[in-house]
Amino acid sequence: MAIIEVDHVTKEFQLGQLTSLKQAALNTARRLTGRPVEERKPFKALDDISFSVEEGEVLGIIGHNGAGKSTLLKLLANISKPTRGSVRVHGKVAPLIEVGAGLVGDLTGRENIYLNGSILGISKAEINRKFDDIVAFAELEEFIDTPIKRYSSGMQVRLGFSIATSVESDILIVDEVLAVGDLAFQRKCMDRIDSVIREKRSTVLLVTHNIRHVERICSRAILMDHGQLRSDGEPNLVCNEFYQLSEETVRRHHAEAHKGRHETTGDLELVEAQVLDADGLPTETIPCDAPVTIRLVYEAHAAIDRPVFGVGIQTPDFLNIATTHSVPEQTTLHLAPGRHEVRFSFARFPLMPGVYCIRTGVAAGNLYTTLFYAESVATVRVEPREIIHAESLREGFIPMEGNWSILPTDTPSPSLAAQAA
Amino acid sequence: MQFVTDLIAYRELMAVLAWKNIALRYKQSFMGILWAVLKPVVLVLIFMVLRSFVGIESGPIPYPVLTYSALTLWIFFQESASEGVTSVVGNANLIRKIYFPREVFPLTSVITKLLELSINLCILAALMAWYGIGPTWQVLWVPLLVLYAILAALTISFIGAALNVYYRDVSTALPVLLSLVMYMSPVIYPLALVKEKLLVEQAASHWSNLIYTLFTLNPLAGLIDAFQNVTLRGLPPDAGAVLPGLIFTLALLPFSYLFFKRAESYFADVI
Repeated sequence: MAIIEVDHVTKEFQLGQLTSLKQAALNTARRLTGRPVEERKPFKALDDISFSVEEGEVLGIIGHNGAGKSTLLKLLANISKPTRGSVRVHGKVAPLIEVGAGLVGDLTGRENIYLNGSILGISKAEINRKFDDIVAFAELEEFIDTPIKRYSSGMQVRLGFSIATSVESDILIVDEVLAVGDLAFQRKCMDRIDSVIREKRSTVLLVTHNIRHVERICSRAILMDHGQLRSDGEPNLVCNEFYQLSEETVRRHHAEAHKGRHETTGDLELVEAQVLDADGLPTETIPCDAPVTIRLVYEAHAAIDRPVFGVGIQTPDFLNIATTHSVPEQTTLHLAPGRHEVRFSFARFPLMPGVYCIRTGVAAGNLYTTLFYAESVATVRVEPREIIHAESLREGFIPMEGNWSILPTDTPSPSLAAQAA
Repeated sequence: MQFVTDLIAYRELMAVLAWKNIALRYKQSFMGILWAVLKPVVLVLIFMVLRSFVGIESGPIPYPVLTYSALTLWIFFQESASEGVTSVVGNANLIRKIYFPREVFPLTSVITKLLELSINLCILAALMAWYGIGPTWQVLWVPLLVLYAILAALTISFIGAALNVYYRDVSTALPVLLSLVMYMSPVIYPLALVKEKLLVEQAASHWSNLIYTLFTLNPLAGLIDAFQNVTLRGLPPDAGAVLPGLIFTLALLPFSYLFFKRAESYFADVI
């Protein structure tokens, strides 16, 4: 039986302020005189959403900011009610919508455990039983009798998470809470959620921008877009669709405005940046493995002695994948004022399908002083050569080349042989 | 009925929230719980000075203990109601994040105030001993009267708290309204004075009886008089003074509660 049923749910919000007395009086006057009333248009945060969740499923909900994810969770947690449609939840819900909601700064850690535990619906007897666990998980043994306003923000979050995950519930709702704490604690939180999933067989709803978490722990994913359900299914497929959606947005933004990081000493300016395909024509998409040339036109305002040009590839989220410099060609080069064309050619573009941004820079002299540096000067989309299921999913950046060998073997492996002897 | 089951299911939460309110109020304060006593004491002193100018006939009971008794109940009602009204907006962070029945907040405000009420009851007992007023069996009425005060405070709290989410004007207007109610209640003067003026002297000619009934529609009028009767005068509550207000309160309370429950679903969206 479905543990959560969401049936044609629409949630509307009135935009803008509540009507003031003046506005209300004006509207009444308009109504009395038969003139049209100034109506505010409702905003649809959720638009006719339907889905159901089975017991034990781990559902990831992804989507860009404002897609309606948090509104959906609030309906499921009974914090707010749908405008139309119905939400049915069979079981106790533990919302981790914001860790530390309801922690009070003037109270000590110990007092906050009792207070927050009661707010989340844990009985006092149960808190007594779990108290040591909660403190140990939050790593706060020393500070438990200190008012939490003296805690660091990380300590507060640890305490909040530790209390919230000790609630016994049928459904656990997790909203963006994993983006907090240091790396070690994030890892610990993920392990805790994993154990909730595996041992208690709870149903989990996870809302996050960290797609890697969704791919790793969810059994199903939902992609939301402008209040609508865009796709629902296998986490890998849904996440990939989300990647494509975000990449399109990144490219659109890039086309609209040249807003990447940009530094220059004034000696040199980038005039043009293009990606050329195998035929030497400007392009934005290239097939996987195809030859590619990056063409840059620089205008030098002064003579530049021994310049070094650099070209690099970044992901849209600024992860540097590869960089190359023109150092070997440097020794004899001398740039006169005027325009110069710089080309870097790949025999074959070495990256997996996805969207990549080009960065470039110029340095000069013995100290390699940076004269110019810019990010996102051009974007290129690498498309899979064939629409093969496996290849169309992003599972890395670099294709691994090598040979497989799969053979039957008669001789037992050395360790096994040693054991037998 | 839902209300009663919720009350039982969430009793631990309300107890913890009430404890939090009390702990927070006095945690970083030098005088601590003494403030609960200071307020009625200062008011009694002011009223005594006032009385020396105006001259209020208070009967055989010494005036300080008479007003202290009235203030004990009045302050409990007034603070429960005003904190109840602001309780929902004051807990906006919880309302946006976690679900539990929202009436927990106004109820918690009342429970919080029970502590200060019991301290003031002890002071009242001490004052009675000082003036040599012995309690009678009528004192057993006190819990019932406190319950009535709670119901009256909740009637205001529920509807006020719900409206306050939409229009913060409510919490601004409430102190003004409540001080108006205080002057219309027998806090500074005894109810006997009003009764004599209207029912015996017929001061407002043929309107007198009607005005008296309207006066006692204010639950606090009958309530404070009854409280003074059972503690100081050794008399049972005066049914004629209590009933109009009691009926009025019991008639309004369900509407106030239903209004609160209907508005509750939208608190998280509007707050």
